[in-house]
Amino acid sequence: MTVLVDATLETAVGEVELRRGGSGGPVPVVYLHSGQGEGAAMALLEELAERCQVVAPVFPGFGASQGLEFIDDIEDASFHLLDVLDRLEFAQVDLLGLSLGGWMAAELATRWPDRVRRAVLVNAVGLHVDGEPIKEIFGRPLDELAGDLYADPEHPVAQMMRAMAQADLNPGEIPFDLIRPVIQALAATAKLGWNPYLHNPKLRGRLGRFRAPAVVVHGRHDGIVPRAHAEAYVAGIPDARIVDLDGAAHMATLERPSEVASLVLRHLQG
Amino acid sequence: MSGTVGRPMTKGPSVRFFSFHLMPYPGLPPDYDGPAWITCPNELYDPALGGEVYNRYIDELLYAEEVGFDGVCVNEHHQNAYGIMPSPNLIASILARQTKRVRIAVVGNALPLYDPPTRVAEEFAMIDCISGGRLIAGMVVGGGPEYYSFSLNPAQARERFAEAHDLIIRAWTEPGPFEHIGKHYKLRYVNTWPRPVQQPHPEIWIPGVGSLETLEFVAKHHYAYMGIPYFHISVFERMFSLMRDACRAEGYEADPLQLGWLVPIFVADTDAEARSRYEDHFWYFVKRLLPGINISPPGYTTVRSVENMLKGAGTFALNLKSWQEVVDGQYAIVGSPDTVVEQLTANIERLGVGNLLGLFQLGTLPAEDTHRNLTLFATEVMPRLRQRFGVAGTPATAAVRP
Repeated sequence: MTVLVDATLETAVGEVELRRGGSGGPVPVVYLHSGQGEGAAMALLEELAERCQVVAPVFPGFGASQGLEFIDDIEDASFHLLDVLDRLEFAQVDLLGLSLGGWMAAELATRWPDRVRRAVLVNAVGLHVDGEPIKEIFGRPLDELAGDLYADPEHPVAQMMRAMAQADLNPGEIPFDLIRPVIQALAATAKLGWNPYLHNPKLRGRLGRFRAPAVVVHGRHDGIVPRAHAEAYVAGIPDARIVDLDGAAHMATLERPSEVASLVLRHLQG
Repeated sequence: MSGTVGRPMTKGPSVRFFSFHLMPYPGLPPDYDGPAWITCPNELYDPALGGEVYNRYIDELLYAEEVGFDGVCVNEHHQNAYGIMPSPNLIASILARQTKRVRIAVVGNALPLYDPPTRVAEEFAMIDCISGGRLIAGMVVGGGPEYYSFSLNPAQARERFAEAHDLIIRAWTEPGPFEHIGKHYKLRYVNTWPRPVQQPHPEIWIPGVGSLETLEFVAKHHYAYMGIPYFHISVFERMFSLMRDACRAEGYEADPLQLGWLVPIFVADTDAEARSRYEDHFWYFVKRLLPGINISPPGYTTVRSVENMLKGAGTFALNLKSWQEVVDGQYAIVGSPDTVVEQLTANIERLGVGNLLGLFQLGTLPAEDTHRNLTLFATEVMPRLRQRFGVAGTPATAAVRP
């Protein structure tokens, strides 16, 4: 029942990949992925595509998308995404973003409020909250990180991360094709979020510029972003509410695709 | 300075001898088994012991001049127990004043950690002036852990280094004031006082662990490349072979003085005595001080370099399990004078290096053993190696004053 197809798009920084499909809905739904490079959160997007037009651009540095050398910070990232919307000829979109993607969604909605109709931010980074730091994602042992990202220890990605951490492999013997995408994804995320660590100090003061009603989702088991960040988003965005998601940690769109799909559809159609 | 190397090769290879000090912290408590880097709690640092070993380590560097080494080396690391020289320039300035003859190699200043990097041009020029033109100016990207310790974006490490390097060379060689408007540094008045004694600038060394970008950078500028230790000897062999290739790609053959090999060395009267006096201190270094050094933050090296460097990663000293592996991989050269002469000769020939950088103090190795090690090396080993390899001059790049 795959309705999504792979495509490419020429942008100002180079060619980027995207996944698109479906039809319907008042405006296209754009999915912005996290720094883990999950790319397309497949099951969720397939569900959404049954009801609306869905586009998931792959950010430069992730997958085969080009142009990371022209992007140094979240401002460059925002202008790149604006360029993507322009080239897709989307005058207005609904944004759905996970983690880093949620941050990007908030940047777009504050910088160009008329381009964003509704927004769903899932475990979004982007803000600093005193005393509630975003946990380290760089350089952590994979088995430890797996527990922060996935509520379900049996989740296939979590299992793979633990297996890699425990395998005691000679790094020279791991097929490099397995490592390359991970290295690239982390490097791209570092460019945007090393310091200031995964946030834009200016963003909180701009949240009042949101015109889009927003749902801010917090995975109850998220080990990376404390709930206080969801609360800060809700406090700053004029029309926003928080939704706590059971059975999900940080990678909530992968762990709970159906639940996220139905709350997204309710928000976008409501 | 491009095109100025071409030191005429007189009679075969020659070798310069340096005594390199890491200034390790010897007092980590036995029950601490965490990393020695980034998050190693600074409560574990005892300032009284710290002051004692600083002075002792400086004495050990001064002693190297006394017994006839060609130079001494210090380096820069931050927030760690492995090497307590966050500012190698402070130590180098003491050495500049207290020594008379040796070259003083700061290997190096981590350029991206200095903002603006003209600070490096200033401090290096000070050391060069105080020492009468004996500085070797090392420039380094900085270790992976430093990008955590300084919260500096590792994905911009290489471009910051390149811009800082160009700026420093310009500050030394171009009349000021001038303006520098780059991506990372914007300086309206660059006008570095003092200027270095050595003209056009001091000899430049770049330490590295084999990233292709660094090798190509060193080759392009005709600088010297110092291979960082703690790998199997075959990794050095590959690294220096890549360096020679990089020089050939620039249209010239690498001068041995452009290659340096850094290795722990311990000499005693017999092989058995050497091992028994040394081994525990070596393992303190490997098991207590190395953990954490190998963290490679995202974007710090390009994907193609990561791929290349992973080939040697399995042989990193942290993976050592037995003394036999240490000996087989030549991670440290330990033994009687005969053994050390034999192994160093073989490796210098195998690697084709013109600079031997010995670590004569390592881990918890006490003062008496370090002193004796330096004495035996200088009297029993160095003369025989000099006889074999000849006495090295200074590469033309150094452009020392007459």
